[in-house]
Amino acid sequence: MNLLIKAAKIIDVSNPELHSKKRDILIKNGKIEKIAAKIAPDHQTETVSLKNLHISLGWFDSGVCFGEPGFEERETIANGLETAAKSGFTDIVLNPNTHPVPDSSSDIVFLKNAAKGQVTGLHPLGTLTMKAQGNDLAELFDMKNTGAVGFYDFKHPMENANLLKIALQYVSNFGGLAYSFPMDAAIAGKGNVNEGESAVRLGLKGIPALAEELRIARDLFILEYTGGKLHIPTLSTARSVKLIADAKKKGLDISCSVAIHNLLYTDSKLEEFDAAYKVMPPLRTKVDTKALIKGVKEGSIDFVTSDHIPMNIEEKQVEFENAAYGTIGLESSFGILNRIFETETAIGLLTKGRERYGMEQPKIKEGEAANLTLFDPEVKYRFEAKNIHSTSKNSMFLGAGLKGKVYGVIHNGRTLF
Amino acid sequence: MSELSVKHLLGIKYLNEADIQLIFETADQFKEVINRSIKKVPSLRDITIANIFFENSTRTKLSFELAEKRLSADVINFSAAQSSVKKGETLIDTVNNILSMKVDMVVMRHPNPGAGIFLSKHVKASIVNAGDGAHEHPTQALLDSYSIREKLGDVTGKKVVIVGDILHSRVALSNIFALKLQGATVKVCGPKTLLPKHVESLGVKVETDLRKALNWCDVANMLRIQNERLDISYFPTTREYTQQFGVNKKLLDSLDKEIVIMHPGPINRGVEITSDVADSKQSIILNQVENGVAIRMAVLYLLASKIK
Repeated sequence: MNLLIKAAKIIDVSNPELHSKKRDILIKNGKIEKIAAKIAPDHQTETVSLKNLHISLGWFDSGVCFGEPGFEERETIANGLETAAKSGFTDIVLNPNTHPVPDSSSDIVFLKNAAKGQVTGLHPLGTLTMKAQGNDLAELFDMKNTGAVGFYDFKHPMENANLLKIALQYVSNFGGLAYSFPMDAAIAGKGNVNEGESAVRLGLKGIPALAEELRIARDLFILEYTGGKLHIPTLSTARSVKLIADAKKKGLDISCSVAIHNLLYTDSKLEEFDAAYKVMPPLRTKVDTKALIKGVKEGSIDFVTSDHIPMNIEEKQVEFENAAYGTIGLESSFGILNRIFETETAIGLLTKGRERYGMEQPKIKEGEAANLTLFDPEVKYRFEAKNIHSTSKNSMFLGAGLKGKVYGVIHNGRTLF
Repeated sequence: MSELSVKHLLGIKYLNEADIQLIFETADQFKEVINRSIKKVPSLRDITIANIFFENSTRTKLSFELAEKRLSADVINFSAAQSSVKKGETLIDTVNNILSMKVDMVVMRHPNPGAGIFLSKHVKASIVNAGDGAHEHPTQALLDSYSIREKLGDVTGKKVVIVGDILHSRVALSNIFALKLQGATVKVCGPKTLLPKHVESLGVKVETDLRKALNWCDVANMLRIQNERLDISYFPTTREYTQQFGVNKKLLDSLDKEIVIMHPGPINRGVEITSDVADSKQSIILNQVENGVAIRMAVLYLLASKIK
């Protein structure tokens, strides 16, 4: 099928020739055939003409959970990927948050197969250790060969420092990317929210920022010793940003991410004990959100992620301490980032990061495969249940004012509008 | 004003000063009632109250039950030990099942902070929080303030120190909110391990020297050390805790002035306070217990009047 996109404003700062220009783009057989000021449609071409249409490289999210296998009631791979596509994402890294966890090559093959034929590409992480129990390394090389783009015991702190040391040394043989969740479990104790003024007022047990920072400091020392590639997912404190920035200055091969909700909200949201705001790492303070936003702008933080975690209502509509952690975030990602940052910056954040996972960065260029997201950055709306495509509806952003809407995506020779 | 600003009593932080005064004035009347030879009034006839306790309690439960019976309410009791909670039923379902039997009010104790607030958003009944984790225990704070008012004439301007485990204590948190709301000055005193790191954000001062704290205050509220409930050790031994934070008669007599001693009970005699302190004329511990019934009668009466 041929598609002619009319008068789309291209947002791609890496491409000064086209950036901010209005162009017609002709897509033929999944490839960008032609980019020009005006292209006439022929009878075989479907024309796309949308209000205030903007176009960018397809968006990328480095940390998304679905539920399949094991928790299909939360989200299936098919509907999860469709949700990602409707939210503007053409590639996502899938967190190993399933039952059983993917800790072998056959698990990775299952995930890759389940995603075949979808618009959005699925790039799974395997666990770093067997069953994500933190005792013995999983078959990392074998998983890498079948398509695992990194290794992560999802949100489980790696308590055994020596095992992280060995893991980093081992994956450096084949350029693997190891994750370490930044949390010292002993310091965090039974805490489930930020240790701060809100926790005191609410009688909730707090997790001090120290728990995160201490763990990052340890991991950076280990990385300095071993070499290799380390990724620290979902930072939440101001001092963590500084630790990472300093490590980058030293030349360590370190990357990190922040969850979008940790950029927007603070622990003051907990006042009504609403489990929608229960996330790990927890919502922190104004000082932290400011430092995290600054870290994103300055590049100390490599990626922003939705940290999309679907949870069925039974796991959320209970007493706060008994509720599961996590919020869905794919659907609201753009609308929030585009509210916090200038559109150009937001799109920059949504389109970078693939190289870290060994994926090729797409290009808006004639002859290249079409990997594109179409959107309107100006439209403002209130995020409501009807805007949720996920099977689970546990969004902390319900009721929030968002800026910017996605029209659709083109990827893998398919389109979704 | 003759009615409360709230539909539920979920915590002191949801009340205003006028609410507290109204509860106290109502309690004054009920205190007179429970000291008559016929201690019962028909105020809550035809109101059914469920006492739902997901956590062990002796005195709070007794006090509520007595308050309900003195008001002629119909009372049912439910405790977690005999409940279907262990069969996996959710809190909302448990309470809705009870409410289906035409119950008007729920008095609930629960181990999770915010459980009452959560419940109030999902069920149709007036809810009284009888303690939710380390969050609030509003009727305890009300009866504590009421007892100070009774003993010293007023709470406004008084200096109160709360001694002990502030970190895990709903009594401390509710007391801080209540005392501040009425214009008292509050300090907290205890080992640093049992003081929340951000406790000063509540508008209280920290004093780690017990003698200094006692010399400063008009009232010392000695909290129970619940060693059996602590997940890790916050101090080496009870003996060592007592050396630093226990009040004995010698210490009490050596102070510059005569202070009032309170305790929410049950007392670990010889730990937080020695027997001679507990039984001294400066102690108002048993007055607190008596006032507890009057305060709970007032709260139930005022909330029930909003249902009708």
